[in-house]
Amino acid sequence: MENKKPLIEVKELSKSFGSLEVLKSVSVDIMQGEKVVIVGASGSGKSTLLRCLNCLEDPTGGAVIFEDENIADPKVDINVHRQKMGMVFQQFNLFNNKTVLQNITLAPVMLRKRKLRQEKIRHFFRKGEKPTLTKEQILEEENGKAMKLLARIGLEDKANVYPSTLSGGQKQRIAIVRALAMNPKVMLFDEPTSALDPEMVGEVLDLMKQLANEGMTMVIVTHEMGFAREVADRVLFMDGGVIAEQGTPEEVFGNPKSERLKAFLAKVL
Amino acid sequence: MKELWTRFSKAFIVQDRWKMYLEGLGNTLLIALIAAAIGIAIGVCMAMIKYINKKTGKLKVLAKICNFYITIVRGTPVVLQLMILYFVVFAFWDNGIMIGAITFGMNSGAYVAEIARSGFESVDDGQMEAGRSLGLSTWQTMRSVIIPQAVRNCLPPLFNEFIMLVKETAIVGYVGIYDLGKIPGLIQSRTFDYLFPLLIAAVLYLIVVLALTKVLHMIEKRLAKSDRNGGGVTNGK
Ligand SMILES: Nc1ncnc2c1ncn2[C@@H]1O[C@H](COP(=O)(O)OP(=O)(O)OP(=O)(O)O)[C@@H](O)[C@H]1O
Ligand SMILES: [Mg+2]
Repeated sequence: MENKKPLIEVKELSKSFGSLEVLKSVSVDIMQGEKVVIVGASGSGKSTLLRCLNCLEDPTGGAVIFEDENIADPKVDINVHRQKMGMVFQQFNLFNNKTVLQNITLAPVMLRKRKLRQEKIRHFFRKGEKPTLTKEQILEEENGKAMKLLARIGLEDKANVYPSTLSGGQKQRIAIVRALAMNPKVMLFDEPTSALDPEMVGEVLDLMKQLANEGMTMVIVTHEMGFAREVADRVLFMDGGVIAEQGTPEEVFGNPKSERLKAFLAKVL
Repeated sequence: MKELWTRFSKAFIVQDRWKMYLEGLGNTLLIALIAAAIGIAIGVCMAMIKYINKKTGKLKVLAKICNFYITIVRGTPVVLQLMILYFVVFAFWDNGIMIGAITFGMNSGAYVAEIARSGFESVDDGQMEAGRSLGLSTWQTMRSVIIPQAVRNCLPPLFNEFIMLVKETAIVGYVGIYDLGKIPGLIQSRTFDYLFPLLIAAVLYLIVVLALTKVLHMIEKRLAKSDRNGGGVTNGK
């Protein structure tokens, strides 16, 4: 890592659902540009850790430092930070009532329009500059950007259809570019290929590899060990709510130390 | 035969009495429409409060109030609610039609709340998560993603609630409002024959309800079709 400052610092993070302790004081730094893959048995807390990174789950203890702010603190405006943290779900979660294009533009357009309204009000009270863009220009800009993103994944012709007409692989690639449309600093993936038919896994992994090559910071929960070997800078093995072992893919896959990791690898490899 | 015709004629044709039925029917529909609007406003608000409370834990007090309201309204006869509003709460007001509409609006709100709540709950949780993960607030996601899908999911039961309202409002006659259900009594008091006025009113209710049911089937068909085509709420372009 050329840049030494971590992008996300997780400090003694814990999370319980009622009396069930799912994360037990987990600490880990995610460096700028780093690709971190999280592996582990079902129920070990992988998704929970990932979802605590953007506070989709509220941590019950500890801190998540992103851009010098503890975003686990309920007092910070989490929405501002989430705009810079893209998330991709196992079930795609495309908006069913929106076309593909609207799926991509919805959040950026809504947020920019809101900002525009605030700027207009400030300008009205002579407390700020006149906004330079109009609503229409924002819409046009975001539509253009979305079409470019669709072109990148070869799905421009799907811009005006609804998600239910798409294949799983197409849905997931659109979900990925929907997150990219916010220009995030980090992308979080929770088993992005687990709900796909085998023949569609490749197209999604290829897109993720492209992102990795472009230098995107990525945190990925996956069972695709081949992908982890190829892309990961670091692999975290989670077991019982803690990071039981971590290292480069060579270390973790080639030279596992704990019995638990050996047993896990024997099952998945 | 001749005698039946005279009775019918007295009930419907003489002195243009058919106009009374039409006027009554107009009032019935007016009350049902206003009540439906009030009911949807109240019901959707309550359902939204309960949904947000369930998903985020916020709005606890409001959610409690909603539950209290629903319990009271559903646990007492609507005739009593009507009399309380007509003779007590709005005693100073002589607009019976509006009071009837408000009563049934408040009453139907408690039922619409349940319909709308199940509409909200039929929307996949992943939709809210996706919106929040992009940095939208709960309310922004509700507005653009959750509510449109919820509305679509509960359009048929909501319309059904409206059909119920058309029939149930017949009791507003109790407090002297001239809706369709009240007309037979008025005519009987002049002709001393109850059978035909009652039959005619019943037939008119039946025609309206059947027509509305037909509309309901059309809505259902259309929704099913747009499901097959993968259309969303806006049903394509
Ligand atoms: N919302 C919730 N309420 C209660 N328990 C939960 C909740 N979410 C997760 N859990 C529990 O927390 C534990 C860890 O869940 P998590 O989803 O983080 O596991 P995982 O490692 O991602 O597993 P998988 O590989 O199956 O996705 C599990 O025992 C799960 O049942
Ligand atoms: Mg998981």
